Amino acid sequence: MHVRVQNIKPKYMSESEISGSDIYLQNQIVFEKRKKYLLKANSGHGKSSILNFIYDCNKNYTGKIIFEGNEDDSIISVRIKKLSYVFQDFKLFPKLTLWENIKIKNNLTNFKTDQEILNLIDKLGLSEKKDQLVETLSLGQKQRTAIIRSLCQPFDFLLLDEPFSHLDERNIEILTTIIDKELEDQNAGFIMTTLNNEYLFKYDKILNL
Amino acid sequence: MIWKLQKKTLLPLQIFGYGITLCIGITIALITLTIYTDLKPILQSESNVFNDNAVIVNKKISILSNINKDKIYFTEEELRDFEDQDFVKEIAKFNKATNFKIFLSSDIFNIGSELFFESIPDKYLDIESDDWKWEKGSDFVPIMMPEDYLKLYNLGFAESQGMPLLSEKVISKAKFDVHLSGSNKRQSFKGGIVGFSSKINSILVPEEFLNWANKEFGNHKENNPSRILVEFTNPNDERIIEFLKEHNYEVNKEKMEKNKLIFFFKMAFVFVFVIAVIIILLSITLILLSINLIFQKNREVLINLYFLGYQIKQISYYYKLLISIVTLFSIFISLMLTLMIRRMYSEKLVSYFDFEMSNTFIYTNVMIISVLLLILLNILIERKIRNLILR
Repeated sequence: MHVRVQNIKPKYMSESEISGSDIYLQNQIVFEKRKKYLLKANSGHGKSSILNFIYDCNKNYTGKIIFEGNEDDSIISVRIKKLSYVFQDFKLFPKLTLWENIKIKNNLTNFKTDQEILNLIDKLGLSEKKDQLVETLSLGQKQRTAIIRSLCQPFDFLLLDEPFSHLDERNIEILTTIIDKELEDQNAGFIMTTLNNEYLFKYDKILNL
Repeated sequence: MIWKLQKKTLLPLQIFGYGITLCIGITIALITLTIYTDLKPILQSESNVFNDNAVIVNKKISILSNINKDKIYFTEEELRDFEDQDFVKEIAKFNKATNFKIFLSSDIFNIGSELFFESIPDKYLDIESDDWKWEKGSDFVPIMMPEDYLKLYNLGFAESQGMPLLSEKVISKAKFDVHLSGSNKRQSFKGGIVGFSSKINSILVPEEFLNWANKEFGNHKENNPSRILVEFTNPNDERIIEFLKEHNYEVNKEKMEKNKLIFFFKMAFVFVFVIAVIIILLSITLILLSINLIFQKNREVLINLYFLGYQIKQISYYYKLLISIVTLFSIFISLMLTLMIRRMYSEKLVSYFDFEMSNTFIYTNVMIISVLLLILLNILIERKIRNLILR
């Protein structure tokens, strides 16, 4: 699946705010499968917005977003099979444990075995926190949990909204390795927004917002 | 996992409150319906006679009436006045045989007696009989007697004079000779008693027959009634008693009271049933408000589930299932309570009346209530979640 974005403009931003953007108000931008995109901008320039528009959890825009090859699928089906999203605010359930937060996604997709999930938790140093309520975790731990959860489904694109903002370099390194491997296994690409961390992956395209 | 998450969003006390209120409302509604259905045949047999709210009205017989018999008849003016009262729905005149002789005799019983006939419109009769008809040229005249006459004979006359007791069936089989004479003509008919009226204190024949006989044997004088049947819009209207008193009219008070009682009885049923329906509606409102509160408080959880890829049907399933179970459980408890109470009062009723103990209609009611409630609640819950997530 490719994601074709046409003439997109957030309704809540003026034209002057997004002038010079590589995406907003461009006739056509195509995010191709298997490729890695970095979206760069300062805060308040609509980085999260463009990911939310693509994920269809924010409809406050003009223009058109087309999932090429999956035009007739419902957004739910696209979310389960084609798009995975690491939200900036994680969207975890505070009253569930770390393990339950991951399982609630995997139960829907049955994509990974419990053992595979446990391995990921272990690699990211969260084994001891596995049965702890998410509301008691630190931001960094929550961020790692959210990333593991996003990998528990098939996808063509992984949407990453400032995914490493609360992590130390060691964890970032481990995660880049895990994500790279997952992309390779799934033959997928990603669209990532960031304030810095440009050196982490080998990007196919860097777009300024 | 999603259930575990959603379980944490619940407000147990409010859902418990819903269950209790619904249970109370449905129990009251079911018991009211059940008692009403059980007592309906009894009520109907008591009240059906004169279209529920009708009584027989006549003028009081005073010393003066002895001298001037016309005083016992209703004049056209008085009838019109009666009809014009807004608490009166309809009046029907008693038609009577005027100025010709009626003689009834029976060879079998070896009796003979002079008699009078009256008639009223068929719709006011409390007895239904296929024989109740007469056409010109027909030889058989059906007769309706007051039940009290038979009682008087059996319990008074027969008892004291050593005569045989007669049942309604025996009398119905007997045939009499009916001789009419007047205007220098005479004619005989066969007569038979086709029913005993418990309400109309008169010897009745079909209206067609009496009209014909009056024309044939009577003296064609104006036929003013001495008794009329009055149907009230509401027998409880205070103006009725006042009006009757003012005009010196008489009614069978016992019947009037009975009708009043039945009227009150029915009103009480309606009242209690309406209260029950209000309680049920309140319980539904309560659960909808609680659900709304739960959804608003946990809006983020529900939306996050949707973003994770859960469908609205999957998200609302837990709430729908839970509310459906609570609803069904409450209805089940109501059903058990109703059956228990019914068993208690039916033991008493059986000793008074022929009482048919069938629970089918209760089950039907419960089924209808359950299905309607479940459909309503399930639709509303899913719609609420959909609106909340997609708005």
